[in-house]
Amino acid sequence: MKEPKNTQERKYVAELPQKELEDLRNSAKAVSDRVITENIERMKKTSANRPEAMKYFDDFATFALRETELKDAKAKGRKVIGYFCMFAPIELIIAADAIPVRVNSGWYDTSKIGDRIVPVEVCPVIRSTIGAKMIGLSPFLELSDALISVLTCDGMTKLSEVMSDYMPVIAMPLPRVKDSPHSLEFWREEITSVKKQIEELTGNKITTKKLRTAIELVQKATKAFRRLQDLRKGAPVIMGRDAMLVNQVFLWDDVARWTEKTEALCDELEQHVKEKKWVCPPDTPRVMVTGTPMFWPDNWKLPSLVEEASPRGVIVADELCSGERLLYDPVGVDEWTSDDMYRAMSERYLMASTCPCFTSKDGNEDRINWLLNKVKEWNVQGVIYYVVRGCMLYAMEYTRVKRVLDKLNIPTYYLDTEYTREDVGQMKTRVEAFLEMLSARVDI
Amino acid sequence: MALEYLGDTLRLMVLAGLGIAGVLAILIWLRNKTRKVTYLRFVVGAVSVAAIFYMFTFTQIWMLLVVAVILLMTIPLGRFFCGWLCPFGFYMDLISQLRKATRVRYRLLPVKFNGALNRLRYAILVFFLVLPFALGPIADFQYQFIYFLAGPFKPWSILLGPLEPLIVPWTSSVTLSGIYFSWPYLTPVSFYSGTDYTGIAELVTANIIIFVAITVVASFFIRRFWCRFCPTGSSLAIKFRGKSSAVLHLSKDEEKCTKCGICKRVCPQQVQEIYDQKGGKITTSMCILCLRCVEMCPYEDTLKVKLGGKAVFRSRNWLQPSQSE
Repeated sequence: MKEPKNTQERKYVAELPQKELEDLRNSAKAVSDRVITENIERMKKTSANRPEAMKYFDDFATFALRETELKDAKAKGRKVIGYFCMFAPIELIIAADAIPVRVNSGWYDTSKIGDRIVPVEVCPVIRSTIGAKMIGLSPFLELSDALISVLTCDGMTKLSEVMSDYMPVIAMPLPRVKDSPHSLEFWREEITSVKKQIEELTGNKITTKKLRTAIELVQKATKAFRRLQDLRKGAPVIMGRDAMLVNQVFLWDDVARWTEKTEALCDELEQHVKEKKWVCPPDTPRVMVTGTPMFWPDNWKLPSLVEEASPRGVIVADELCSGERLLYDPVGVDEWTSDDMYRAMSERYLMASTCPCFTSKDGNEDRINWLLNKVKEWNVQGVIYYVVRGCMLYAMEYTRVKRVLDKLNIPTYYLDTEYTREDVGQMKTRVEAFLEMLSARVDI
Repeated sequence: MALEYLGDTLRLMVLAGLGIAGVLAILIWLRNKTRKVTYLRFVVGAVSVAAIFYMFTFTQIWMLLVVAVILLMTIPLGRFFCGWLCPFGFYMDLISQLRKATRVRYRLLPVKFNGALNRLRYAILVFFLVLPFALGPIADFQYQFIYFLAGPFKPWSILLGPLEPLIVPWTSSVTLSGIYFSWPYLTPVSFYSGTDYTGIAELVTANIIIFVAITVVASFFIRRFWCRFCPTGSSLAIKFRGKSSAVLHLSKDEEKCTKCGICKRVCPQQVQEIYDQKGGKITTSMCILCLRCVEMCPYEDTLKVKLGGKAVFRSRNWLQPSQSE
């Protein structure tokens, strides 16, 4: 673990004048609050028969509620550990009685502040996260006692360096070829070493019993999560944006409570299925989104465009690491010994992942298969390949994905954008053209 | 005589009935989807131990029949016998259960070494098959052949080795308060220990103790240790190597598989093909069809057990509590 540096020794980030910092923070905060309310209002408006149980997720989407809870927990001596990629083993954090929060930033405005540290060519998710930390916008980044940064893409690797200016960063190097036995061994050792660092940080020992409880807790969340995704296989019973919001709330919510609320939501949705209460006409084109992760609150423009466009589309599935990839894979423990639990955890986080940072002798075969399976199981009619500028790995894998989906006769649309609101009009035209084409295909 | 056989058959039928009752009880009682098949295997295994103990009280013709049935069963079902019916396998599973209860972790054999053991079992089998010919007078083929079929080195008694129950109906080397105890392969071990006829009783006993200790300790730490080079298993496996002949086999759906690796980890035999092979029919001579991988696979329909082209058991999302089962 890198030692926390005080402000004089910062490697990357120069100190901002107090006045400027406060101005920036206040304006960004105002925009952020406005965007959150606006997004939720728009989501409520678009969806017919919106489930009642969404209220909880709407409330928690505003950050403020969870911020208070985290502050209370911190006052009681619990630690908050932030993480960047979904490879970070949250079971370990929970087992150490700390609170995991994912801290990737979705604010558009902060990406411009991040530009002061890193060039604009860098992925906006990274720039925005740096900017958010600089002005202290994200409550979760501010409250984190340490960060777990998994060195997946180049951006994440350097982001962990920049972040070490502010707080201790536990970096976890990731093998890029996952199907070799050494990779798994390496990753398992990495997880064991992270366990030690988390224990050191929190002062709590991760015992076998605690870890088992944590794994079972997350398994329950996985169960609820998969139930929700499975409900989206049929006629649209929940708007894609609503389901995506549920997934987003998991990033910072208390796991047990989130599970309970999601189960309640699923119960309600099942009732809706029985009563045939759809959220939009069942012949609405079914779209899948894949590519760069999208983060609440600002980077919500693509799902909003798809579901508010005319003709309208409905997102029935996504392949985003901020969405359906989050919790789909359970930790499958064979025997509840600590050895087997660590093996199971390392397999779940490394092998089951379909991040494009991986390759093998067949390329990133896992992601392709996963996409094919999604397209077939969820009856997807069109795929939007969403990439933000600077996201090399997703952009480069597009060609292969398109070729594979072409064989299935599924139209794929490459949509590249930035962390900005300026291109919404232009994107609208593009998305609508694509959806028009999809609905024409439906008519045929 | 005829009445005796009738009585025996009736007793076996009662046993089978008990087994079916046990299977039903497990199906109704056990809600945990990741343990169901494992516990079913325990019930079937226990019943089969009882049945085999019973068969050992019969004449040798019966024993020959047991071997014949086991070998013939391999042609359609593969090593189903090893996973579900073999008493030695059952004991090893029980020892594994004991290890689980004591929270000791299992050890893995290095993959290459495991593969070597896998090949070695054929050598072991051939060794036992040629032994009668090697020991008999070189010129007298007829004598050798009789030796092969009925002599003390008859290979089929080696094949019966893993079927030996813990308590045996015949006089055996270990006796405790009037009950004869044995252990798989104990009869061959004691026999071969004494073959040079200079062998003293102590040597035989020592060999027996060493053999039992090694197998118990090894299978405590390594799941299904003996199965990796068992001569009976290899004789079954030979038939199973021809992939087309297997009516019962595992099949994997390439697209649904996320390569999470659970199947490979839970395999008690460390079969790598279940993970390495991308999709389609998975039959290996190592697979004992214990179905642990299918049971633990968390993705619906990814792994299937196919019997004659029809899926009889498929992987499912075991996180979901069972509603209908």
